[in-house]
Amino acid sequence: MSEKNNGDEPADKDRRNFFKFLGVAAIAAGGIGALRGVLENVSPPITAAFSAFPTLLLYSQSGKPISTNDLIVNNSTIVLFDYPLQNEPNFLLRLGDSNNNDVAIEPTTVTIPATGKTFQSPGGVGPHNSVVASSAICQHLGCIPPIIHFYPPSSSSYPGKVHCNCHGSTYDPYKGFAVVTGPTTHPLPNTVLTYDSAKDQYSVSSLVGPTIYGHSSDLSGGNPLASSSYTEISTLTPTS
Amino acid sequence: MPREKKENMIEKIMNDPQPIPRKVPDYMRTKGGGWFWTGAMVMFAFLYEVITGLILLLYYEPSNAYASTEAFLSSTPFGSFILTTHLYGAYAMVVLVYIHLLRNLYEGAYKHPRESQWLTGVILLITTLGAGFFGYSMSGDVLSADATDVGRGIAGGIPVIGNWILGIFFGNGTQLSLFSRMLAWHIILVAIIGLLFAAHFFMAEYNTIMPKREESGYKVPAIDHDDGSYKPWYPYNLVYMIQLMLLTFGIIVIIPSVLALLPGVPPLFSPFPQVSPTSPLAASVPAYPPWFLLFVYKELDFQFAQSLTPFWATVIFAGMPLVYLLILPYVDKSSSLRMRDRPITVSFAILGTIYLASLSLWGALTPGVAIANWKVALFFFLPGIAIITLTWVIADAMKKEKIHVRNAPWAFATMAIMAVSAFGSGMLILADIRTPSLLYTIAMILTLMVTAISAAVVIAISRGVFTQHAEAYKPMSRNAYTIAGSGFTASAIFILFEISVINPDTVFKTSLYGIGLGVLLLIGGAVLRMYRATIYHE
Repeated sequence: MSEKNNGDEPADKDRRNFFKFLGVAAIAAGGIGALRGVLENVSPPITAAFSAFPTLLLYSQSGKPISTNDLIVNNSTIVLFDYPLQNEPNFLLRLGDSNNNDVAIEPTTVTIPATGKTFQSPGGVGPHNSVVASSAICQHLGCIPPIIHFYPPSSSSYPGKVHCNCHGSTYDPYKGFAVVTGPTTHPLPNTVLTYDSAKDQYSVSSLVGPTIYGHSSDLSGGNPLASSSYTEISTLTPTS
Repeated sequence: MPREKKENMIEKIMNDPQPIPRKVPDYMRTKGGGWFWTGAMVMFAFLYEVITGLILLLYYEPSNAYASTEAFLSSTPFGSFILTTHLYGAYAMVVLVYIHLLRNLYEGAYKHPRESQWLTGVILLITTLGAGFFGYSMSGDVLSADATDVGRGIAGGIPVIGNWILGIFFGNGTQLSLFSRMLAWHIILVAIIGLLFAAHFFMAEYNTIMPKREESGYKVPAIDHDDGSYKPWYPYNLVYMIQLMLLTFGIIVIIPSVLALLPGVPPLFSPFPQVSPTSPLAASVPAYPPWFLLFVYKELDFQFAQSLTPFWATVIFAGMPLVYLLILPYVDKSSSLRMRDRPITVSFAILGTIYLASLSLWGALTPGVAIANWKVALFFFLPGIAIITLTWVIADAMKKEKIHVRNAPWAFATMAIMAVSAFGSGMLILADIRTPSLLYTIAMILTLMVTAISAAVVIAISRGVFTQHAEAYKPMSRNAYTIAGSGFTASAIFILFEISVINPDTVFKTSLYGIGLGVLLLIGGAVLRMYRATIYHE
């Protein structure tokens, strides 16, 4: 300690402190300036694949547009299509009652429990207004089919519900995929379908409700689909 | 006299730990003290490379090497800043490694007791050049493709195990395998540099920083002894180290940022990757390796080397100097540190510098042009005979006290510069006669001027003209330092404000940020220098 102050007159203490301040300020300026560059650099730029939702025709795997007859009421097999990006699967459901007769799904107001906000679900399409779609990525922690899937009304567990086996979140597809039980606090994003009754064809045009889980917007965070005019359906068998 | 048990260094370090970091005498921090810290500056450049390299690792895609590099440059905020300064940090590290090596070669720092320290240093040179080669090749541009092809030729030419080595370093032939391997080897070599550096550093601390040669009467072992008057490491040396770090970082940041703004920077020194190897413009880019490997590249053009494989040519031209450096401390065991007592080592050091620089220059001027055997012989033997004779005569005259060279290291270093520029002007005169052009004439006049100036400097140094200036050096008054320091810090705050509002949406604006940040770092170093002058009287 005494060695440190050696040769410095007491009058120089102020000068020393002032110079210390100058040094610390100059180095801090360099540090802050560099930090800005590093912090802004390490966050990857997010580029949206599209500027707006594309409208895509739903194709079967045989390469033809699907018709109402291709869809089975209360299908226990999981029917999926990617929209709007490759890593964004959606359920395609034709809903019915316990006797497998089509049920018309009315547009309804869905509440997002997390925020208290609401949105209007699009309702069913098709000749019986019974075909609906939603994001197939669970809003709780992002589990995907076959772990999350639709249980037909005849099922003994979760009849007529979409249930995720990861952590037990349950959604009601008849009421705009609203939250039935937690832990999820967000309903599934509703996928908006349109039906061309003249050609008996289905298209997908947008999403409403919460943002797809794991994406900063529905249109970013993945690769675009192979085609800009159609999206193909695929099927999976539920595990339980 | 009882024979002392000879302990090895590791045993001594383990059983008799030395105080780390060691205190150093004041002259290592005052004017000219920077020469004792060339190794520290290499370390700071290495530190900068590790930091920016880890950031680049977040973005690099071996499956998509060129596209991911270009995307990082053009559409990631501050991407061009990180990439160009990473490149120039590597260049700075290579240059500093050479400076560190040459200084220790001229000073005789490789001698007892620092033999194994020197050995790790030479291995560090190889690993540094290797890491530089792989890093340079990772961008996937046309230059990296050319460099990789030469590297493949050299590795594949190793007898018997060539294909095996080729596979280990460059993968199975697919692009993905190539770039994945190069990324991995880049990082592996850097990890090896880190480990070797630790060993190198502990040896340096154990052997002490080599003091001024007059301290030990120009005899080995040159060990620094703390006589109790040395100032503590904290804060004196710490502040000095931060100052050196800020200066090193500042230079690394400023140079590529300025080059990025200049038009028409030659591909050899451009801070940006060139076009893709599949682009139609690729043919217009000369097939250059990184500049620090130009010498290897040129020797492959020699007529007789072309009948050998690239591997054997490399063994002769790069392997032999390395072997020389590796065995040097075990061969040159004389106890004198005076340059005049070891004319062979000194003349080889000068010759090595001349060959390295001239071959690099040759490679830059005539890439891929075959060189006839008689020219090669002339190139090696003419300066060889001249320098060895000259050094011998000067050393002999000095020993007999006929002439008195006061600043011998500077005289020898300037001699090397003189020889390289003389070689360059010779080349340019030839080129100008064959294909007259204004560019060659201007370059020729410039190199002749450099030759003449350095010749004059050599004479001036020998006669002790410059030594007077050092004694005339007078520090500013303390008040002047305080005012200057305040001005510097005030401008630092202003520059910080300026670079904080720059929107990094173009390479141009990002380069302005880089220049601003570099100036900030240099200001930090300058304020610390003034702080040390005012408060520590250093």
